[in-house]
Amino acid sequence: MRANFAKAAATGDEAPLYFYSHLFLSHPETRQMFPVSMAHQRDRLFAALGDVVARVDDLDSLVPILQQLGRDHRKFGTLAAHYPAVGASLLATLEHFDDQWSPELAKDWTEAYTLVAEVMIAAADEATEQPAWWEADVVGHERRTIDVAVLRVRPRVRYDYLPGQSVSLESDLRPRLWRYYSPANAPRPDGVLDLHVKARDGGPVSSALVRRVGVGDVLRLGPPMGHLALDPESDRDLLLVAGGLGLAPLKAMVDQVARVGPTRRVDLFVGFRTEDQIYDRPDLARLQEENPWLTVTYAVSEDKLSSLEHGDVGDVVLRQGPWTSREVCVAGPAPMVEDTVGRLLQHGVPPQRMSSEVFAPSRPGPSVDGEVTE
Amino acid sequence: MSSASNGSAHGDRGITPADLHNVRFTRASMLHPGYADTEVDRLVHRLAEELGRHIAEKAELRDRLRALQAQVDETVPPVPPSDQAVRILASAQQTADNYVAEAEEFSRQMTSEARAEYEERVREARENAGAIIQAAQEAAAKMTGPGPMGADAPGRSVAELEEQVAYLKAFGQACRVQLRSYLEALLSDVEKEWGQADPAALPQGPPRPPEQRRSGSENGGPTAFSDNTVAQPPEEVEEDLPATAGSRSSTSPARG
Repeated sequence: MRANFAKAAATGDEAPLYFYSHLFLSHPETRQMFPVSMAHQRDRLFAALGDVVARVDDLDSLVPILQQLGRDHRKFGTLAAHYPAVGASLLATLEHFDDQWSPELAKDWTEAYTLVAEVMIAAADEATEQPAWWEADVVGHERRTIDVAVLRVRPRVRYDYLPGQSVSLESDLRPRLWRYYSPANAPRPDGVLDLHVKARDGGPVSSALVRRVGVGDVLRLGPPMGHLALDPESDRDLLLVAGGLGLAPLKAMVDQVARVGPTRRVDLFVGFRTEDQIYDRPDLARLQEENPWLTVTYAVSEDKLSSLEHGDVGDVVLRQGPWTSREVCVAGPAPMVEDTVGRLLQHGVPPQRMSSEVFAPSRPGPSVDGEVTE
Repeated sequence: MSSASNGSAHGDRGITPADLHNVRFTRASMLHPGYADTEVDRLVHRLAEELGRHIAEKAELRDRLRALQAQVDETVPPVPPSDQAVRILASAQQTADNYVAEAEEFSRQMTSEARAEYEERVREARENAGAIIQAAQEAAAKMTGPGPMGADAPGRSVAELEEQVAYLKAFGQACRVQLRSYLEALLSDVEKEWGQADPAALPQGPPRPPEQRRSGSENGGPTAFSDNTVAQPPEEVEEDLPATAGSRSSTSPARG
């Protein structure tokens, strides 16, 4: 099976292109579950299949991944009836790209796929007590800088999540393109989520969310995911380090400490390139005023005129240490997270007390490891 | 007449061939030889009804069979799509994807160029503004400077004040760093002792009241001063009890 899959995978874009064309021709009703441009979708399909094939001997790690995938596919409108259709097209694709296709291979693949489909369907069925997606009304939209907006959305049905988690969302302006954003607040009594969105250059969803979505529009939210979270057992003092829009999940944690506790010292460091990119200053100032345990420090890396701390945020953090007894969360773009985590490890923060999440532009969804991006 | 012909057999079960075989009619009477004609009439009537029902049912079944056959004929076409069809759709999809990608790329270029332009303009404007303010301040200093030199009220120059503010900020920062080093060292000490006495209790961390620093003197604002020499590298003070113990005396005035 691996050899057979490798042949299809080696064709690059060809095999997934064939697969989707085959699927849409034999089951035209499945087309509407996908975005107009299928380019990214094709990359993801074979990456996901490759992950599954690689772990096919290791059911203990494969099953939870498939269950997560099954649950997550509900928001796309996937039904149990769609699985056989996909299986048939997958088999046709694998056969098409393998000149040594045999009935035994067909049988192996059918069995493997049936198992995969069963696990995913079972997980999706188990999750039916919660909606496949949540409709949420945009109740506030503030442009904070030239390319950052803060959206306030109110789900119509109760939506539970943990501070630090991410939410996938879709807008009618860009159908079938799901992107991940972190709420910047802990769950509030009125259920409203604050979403910080930066319009990426050429990013179809983020630009639409910043420049076109307005109050009264409706967004669809998928189930929350992500592993960035506070240890509920711990009352350790916190060190939170954000780069850019990585501020959102960390602000949610500050909000959690303020709403739920336990109260402890919290030092929040927020790094930007220039001072006028700091889009959430008044609200952070308010939090700091209301909560004497909170200290907010800004760092700017490319702004010589600013009177704020200069340098990479990781560097600024270390200048104000030591932090060895803290619980640490780091969120931001990849280089910033890497740099900061490295510095803090060197500084002596034990790795088990440090969690981090990379916020990359516009990744279309979680990898099989459950990692998400804004 | 036997049981078969009487009314009880009528109804949903209909008439079976066995029923007919078992039909026995009553002899009428001496005056009218043969069977009682009412019984015969009744049976004929029922048989006619039964036959009609069968014919209708047969027609219905035939129709249904035709419909099903048609359905089967229709659904057979899950013949897998031909390679040619797949190729055509694939190239159409690719064309669409390329258009979308091109549009996105175009918008990416436009926005990033616009952004670069915007940032450059803002930076220039801020630099200009800074230069103008500085020039204005210098001019102001020149105008006011030589005049009321002897007056004591606003006598100190802006530069002098700024120097003093910077000094105080740096001093505050130094106190903070040392105080924190001391606290952290103390905490890690407590943790170590705690861990030795009761290792199981360690993961929860030492219980401690949330230490709330009086940050009022800093006015809660961002610690606003640029790179200065006072922010000592933390490694030097960390876990170095004598140094932090010595620093205690220097922190107390800062609190008061």
